Amino acid sequence: MVLMCLTQTLSAQDILREDSLQEVVVTGTGTQHLLKDAPVQTEVINKQMLQNYSGQSLEDILGGLTSSFSFNEGDMGSQMQMNGLGNSYILILIDGKRIHGDNGGENDLSLIDPHNIEKIEIVKGASSALYGSDAIAGVINIITKRHDTEGILLENTTRGGSHGELRQHNGIALNLGKLSSYTNFQLQHSDGWQNTSREDPRQTEFLITDSRNKTVNRHTNWQVSERLTYSINNHIELYADGSIYRKRIYRPSGHHPGVDVKTYDLRYNNASVSAGGKWKLGGTDLITLDVDWNRHAYYYDFTDVTLTDGFHNGQPTSYFPYYPGQSQLQSDQQRTMAHLKGVFTLPADNRLSAGIEWRYDWLKAPNRVKGGKATDNTEALYVQDEYTPLNWLNITAGLRLNRNEQFGWRLTPKVSAMVKAGDDWRIRAAWSQGFKTPTPKELHYRYVRDMNGTYLFLGNTNLKPQSSNYFSLGIEYNHGGFSATATGYYNQVDDMIALVTIPNSEAPADLYTQYLPLKTRQYKNLESAKTYGVDVNMRYRINREWTAGISYNYLDTDAKLYNSEKDILQNVVIDGMAHHKGNCYVTWNHTMKNENTWGAGVYGRASTKRYYQLNGNGKGYNLWRLTGNYSFSLKHGKQRPLTFNLEAGVDNIFNYIDKTDHGLHLGTTNPGTTFYAAFTIRFNHGKKLFNNYKSNSLNQNNNEEN
Amino acid sequence: MKKIKHFMMAAVALMVAMSFTACSNDDNNSSNYERYQQEVNAAVNRQKSSNKVILLVAFGSTWQQAYDTFDTILDEYKKEFPGWDVYLSFSSAICINQARAGEHAKDPDTPAEVRNYYDPEHWLTAIGKANYKTIVVQSLQVIPGEEYRRVRDSYVKDFMNNKNNDFTEDYMHSIDKQVAVGVPLMGNDDDVDALANILVNESDIKSMINNGTVVAFMGHGNPEDYDYYGANVRYTELENALQALYPKKFYVGTVDMPGNFVDDVYDRMANRDGITSGSVQFYPLMSIAGDHAHNDMADEDDPESWYSLFKEWGYEASAYETIYPKSAACYTKYVAGTDYIPALGERAAVRALWMQHTQDAIDAIENGDGLSTPTTEVEEE
Repeated sequence: MVLMCLTQTLSAQDILREDSLQEVVVTGTGTQHLLKDAPVQTEVINKQMLQNYSGQSLEDILGGLTSSFSFNEGDMGSQMQMNGLGNSYILILIDGKRIHGDNGGENDLSLIDPHNIEKIEIVKGASSALYGSDAIAGVINIITKRHDTEGILLENTTRGGSHGELRQHNGIALNLGKLSSYTNFQLQHSDGWQNTSREDPRQTEFLITDSRNKTVNRHTNWQVSERLTYSINNHIELYADGSIYRKRIYRPSGHHPGVDVKTYDLRYNNASVSAGGKWKLGGTDLITLDVDWNRHAYYYDFTDVTLTDGFHNGQPTSYFPYYPGQSQLQSDQQRTMAHLKGVFTLPADNRLSAGIEWRYDWLKAPNRVKGGKATDNTEALYVQDEYTPLNWLNITAGLRLNRNEQFGWRLTPKVSAMVKAGDDWRIRAAWSQGFKTPTPKELHYRYVRDMNGTYLFLGNTNLKPQSSNYFSLGIEYNHGGFSATATGYYNQVDDMIALVTIPNSEAPADLYTQYLPLKTRQYKNLESAKTYGVDVNMRYRINREWTAGISYNYLDTDAKLYNSEKDILQNVVIDGMAHHKGNCYVTWNHTMKNENTWGAGVYGRASTKRYYQLNGNGKGYNLWRLTGNYSFSLKHGKQRPLTFNLEAGVDNIFNYIDKTDHGLHLGTTNPGTTFYAAFTIRFNHGKKLFNNYKSNSLNQNNNEEN
Repeated sequence: MKKIKHFMMAAVALMVAMSFTACSNDDNNSSNYERYQQEVNAAVNRQKSSNKVILLVAFGSTWQQAYDTFDTILDEYKKEFPGWDVYLSFSSAICINQARAGEHAKDPDTPAEVRNYYDPEHWLTAIGKANYKTIVVQSLQVIPGEEYRRVRDSYVKDFMNNKNNDFTEDYMHSIDKQVAVGVPLMGNDDDVDALANILVNESDIKSMINNGTVVAFMGHGNPEDYDYYGANVRYTELENALQALYPKKFYVGTVDMPGNFVDDVYDRMANRDGITSGSVQFYPLMSIAGDHAHNDMADEDDPESWYSLFKEWGYEASAYETIYPKSAACYTKYVAGTDYIPALGERAAVRALWMQHTQDAIDAIENGDGLSTPTTEVEEE
């Protein structure tokens, strides 16, 4: 019996895995493929990159290691964009299952523990029939660490840094043969920071230089999750998992009414429960069933007396008071899903994936939705065939049939093809249709925000579903340690739903009179919206120790909205769009004779100006980061049950701070130079279970890792 | 099998635990409304020195200049109506919240002004609870539109109907015909001419006209779906009245009245009256100068503001003036000779017109034309 410690970076096999070409990906097709042979173009952030980069959050990781994303960490949460399209078009999966947690179209990325990520796969466009055609921008699949050691694993990571940054990750894995359990606790805290105390004088009555508005507010969130897995036999595995999550965003109050006076904090309560199983039919054929329920509830936690909409003696009133320490529910979103999927090998070099999905969304928002509640129900049926007629050709075609209770039936096809030219070249082309029905929030939700003037935000029951056509053509070259991809993409979104400023006169009478808004913004279907550009990625593994990479994203958008007042089509800026974004890195990793490892990295990221409809454009920026890590383990007999990892680094080493006046858009909310240090201790006692990659691909000779 | 059983039990227990946690409710306190009412009652009891009360109702603002203007209006009312208690109410909950909160209020080095405006609902209940015998609610709106309707048909009507059962039958009986609502600035037909005459005689406006400047007022206006006869039309009537006094010198447009947006003002000015260049001075036709005046009218960075648009159309546009007399300006920080946007509420003669409406309401009560309460109506039958 060979006993091994879990520290994968120390094993010879894992050194091999550092080579990105040996990476196994699943996201594009739902079946396993080597990255270089994946039929659908997939971008991977692997374990080694994650370890070298030591990202403090998913935002930090995606923003720092790819050029496809941009983030705006605002006081209400983090807004993400992927190739110009916002949060609601990006599907975020954890181990293939979609996360839930939407507020104003924003996924809460803090639901993901950055220290429990094994790797991240990114697939652009609505390319996969499996996950839903609403992934119009693309899919991010977070693959969590597999704790596949028999026995016990305990790990703790504590990270501290500037601005009161505190991160805790604690994991307990138990593997008792057929039954295994994994418990995870994570805590994230930041004191927040203020890049400027000056308010945009054009939005305020007089120059305010002592504003208390922060660039990023103090926030704390924690999550406990538990997963139980039971293998009935070698073929059938069952699981159940659940989690609870709390987040609070603290909002300090100043003394300038309408500018920095705040009377409530924000709180989010999430919970999830799921259960399911996997039935391995032999070979790579399998059937899976997942049933899950998720809740995302959003509250105001009052810090000062606040009059708001409510009920008194059963009658609605605009003047229901709340006192400090009390809470008011703003919205409660619950989603229930069931998903049955099968993967079957068919004759004549075909592999079929087929599935059925049922989804029910329930929204309760007493003061934000007429009647207080809204629901939505969607079912989908999909098939996907991977056909590899020739060694050099793979064609993956999928069909997804959606039925929405309000918007009816819609079939969306997807086709992608990969051509191999020798060992070194790959050409990939894809066409996929996307389809996204308006969410209950987009249809029914309305709220008011006081941001140097009252802004009224409105849902729109006249919205039509959005559909998209995504085309991409990419070329990939791999030779030795060098790999390069260049992909052109074009995403045409018809009836794209965007929040646009409308004349106040179009606001409903009661809301108009109640708030007399300075500006009214409403979800509208744009006449047409296109995003197009090029992604270029290069990675060079110079030798066993040095790796360098560069990525670049060019993006342009063209969106038009019909202006009913002027009877013209007018151009609309897709908020947050930047033409050029880039990243680069150089990393060094060294394994000593005693198997201890050293690592270091230099990372750069840059963006040109970001465009917005209102309140100015964000400035271009470039940020640089220096990281280092050291891992060592203690030997006990032949085992190494205790592993330690120390990480430290400096972010934004040139101390760039975007001090644009508050109230205007920033290019980056980065607080300037920050430091961090993290210490991980991992205790592992037991036998490593081998769970090798089994290629789903039909041409084993070409694909198999060897 | 035993293991499966244990596993299933654990899974069920987990789900139940999750569901319980997920269903935790927010801790609404049903007595909140009452608690807040006590605070307003206390404020009234502290200030009560008469059995007659005037409650001024404005939408509200978060601008310091507006707070100062409201202070002036309140002070002037108290002077003009001795023997009456005068209170000021905001109908905007957001404006009330913003005015009374502030971290700096707790900081001795930078104390913030904390202002309790309260809403008309709680004010009227407190007024009733304090046993006032004569009540005048004066709308500080400019036109008898949607906001005014809310004052008259919602707050006052609910109060007169004892909607929340706050008052005894005796009290309801005692205020029968003892309550009246003062109409907005241009509530009556006569008001339009009166206001036109006031405006053309304001020293700064007069000086603009004498210098050959065209003056355009920006009113708020009601959107189309809920215009009432006699509301939006007031802006058009005012422009006609001003034009009758000074042809082609005055225009009145709005932020939200269909057919009378900024491009309609331009259309009348350029295409109807042939004025295609020269200087144009803007003034808000609103009781206070807040967000709309400073943003929709004056913001030079907003391409849709009146200032930007008129500049683009080839005029010498100006949204600020430097000739407003310090003695007239309500904004305490105003320095004479600097840029200023005076609101209607800062003009003494305009305030006098509002006060006239209050006097009219008082007269109506004295003439037996006050509002009835249902209690009394039953008795009259």
